[in-house]
Amino acid sequence: MSVLILMRSLTYAQRGQRVLFRLGITSEVRKAPLGSSDRGCTYALRVGERDLRLALSVLREARLEYGKVIQKDRDGNYREVEQ
Amino acid sequence: MIYLDSAATSLLKPQCVGEAMAAAMGRCASPGRGSHESARLAAEVCWDCRCAAAELFHVASEEQVVFTMNATHAINLAIHSLVGPGDRVVISGWEHNAVVRPLHARGAVIDVAAAPLFDREGTLEAFARRLSGARAAVCTHVSNVFGFILPIYDIARLCKAAGVPLIVDAAQSAGVLPLDFQRLDCAFAAMPGHKGLMGPQGTGLLLCHGETKPLLFGGSGSLSRERDMPAFLPDRLEAGTQNVPGIAGLLEGIRYVQSTGVEQIERCERSQLRLFAAELGDSVGQLMLSPDPSLQSGVLSLLPRDIDCEEAAELLGQGGVAVRAGLHCAPLAHESAGTLRSGTVRFSFSPRLRRDDVLLGAKYTKEILGK
Repeated sequence: MSVLILMRSLTYAQRGQRVLFRLGITSEVRKAPLGSSDRGCTYALRVGERDLRLALSVLREARLEYGKVIQKDRDGNYREVEQ
Repeated sequence: MIYLDSAATSLLKPQCVGEAMAAAMGRCASPGRGSHESARLAAEVCWDCRCAAAELFHVASEEQVVFTMNATHAINLAIHSLVGPGDRVVISGWEHNAVVRPLHARGAVIDVAAAPLFDREGTLEAFARRLSGARAAVCTHVSNVFGFILPIYDIARLCKAAGVPLIVDAAQSAGVLPLDFQRLDCAFAAMPGHKGLMGPQGTGLLLCHGETKPLLFGGSGSLSRERDMPAFLPDRLEAGTQNVPGIAGLLEGIRYVQSTGVEQIERCERSQLRLFAAELGDSVGQLMLSPDPSLQSGVLSLLPRDIDCEEAAELLGQGGVAVRAGLHCAPLAHESAGTLRSGTVRFSFSPRLRRDDVLLGAKYTKEILGK
């Protein structure tokens, strides 16, 4: 299962991806589901659920701000994940 | 043709630049828009180019690297961000119209820190006298007419001490001289992709450290419900679809510069200029050569004897030597050097030239203009 860490822009997400990669965390830059932000289009880093805690810690360490963390539930809806 | 007009645009580009552009044409869609493979590929190309530029110019974050159409666009963005009507802006006496015209259009008070050509200390003193209370300063790193290398790091230090944000025009130095954005600690550095960085026309970069104001408004692929452009870079200054094939080419150009080494390129162009000048001597006119070679980059102006400079350039072109003549879109520089009425014929060099090209260029120039 994977989660989406919302990032403010494509370039910011790419920066986050690189930071995570250096620490051995694989991630994918994705367009975030439209309903995930009330400000319109945004990007996200998709990481494995198991990697989430470390990924968030790495991003914080690198002073990369992230938004909500969301995950698709069994009904196909996105819900916010507790960080 | 012996191409001695790299200061206008680098014609002799590495083959990989064109190949990368052609590949991007067929494979890269619009970055930051779709979710499909072609959009992702485009996004990766843009990211890789930002990374390469950040590495080459010692920029702290890739987001500070903004893509523009050319250096003029980049300079306009920087000036628009800092300068309002009535603001006093200090500039060097060697600035291009890409600096003078937007300042004039914005109603700025242009304060020229005048100093003689190739006078490093005079330039510094002139800036020091004028910076107090200025809204901003703009300075070219290298004169596009005379190749004069201005003491940009010391000027940046003076600006910092005076609390004056500095815009550096790196049109003639990017990819040719070492440029350390962090060490400069200036507000902006603007550059074209198509000269020393060996990329295609239609590309440029603005390195940003200061507050920015968008010049163009439109889709950024982010925060699309907001009416304002995003507050963060690069999105704030990159409205609309980027020139992805151009950026793909620029990436290869930057990689070429990185693999060749900027210091090596600097040595090469300087040595080509000295070789050319030694071969030509004063046979066809007065070469505007710096007595101190360390103050001149690979750009050399000639005051031709007994012939109009544009006629001289045309004859040279017909004879297979490509140069540029006239005022080089820099009348202020010519005014500063006393060549506003005559203009000059400009020769500019490149790491893509061979030694024989330079020698032949000098030989043909002597033959064509010596008649």
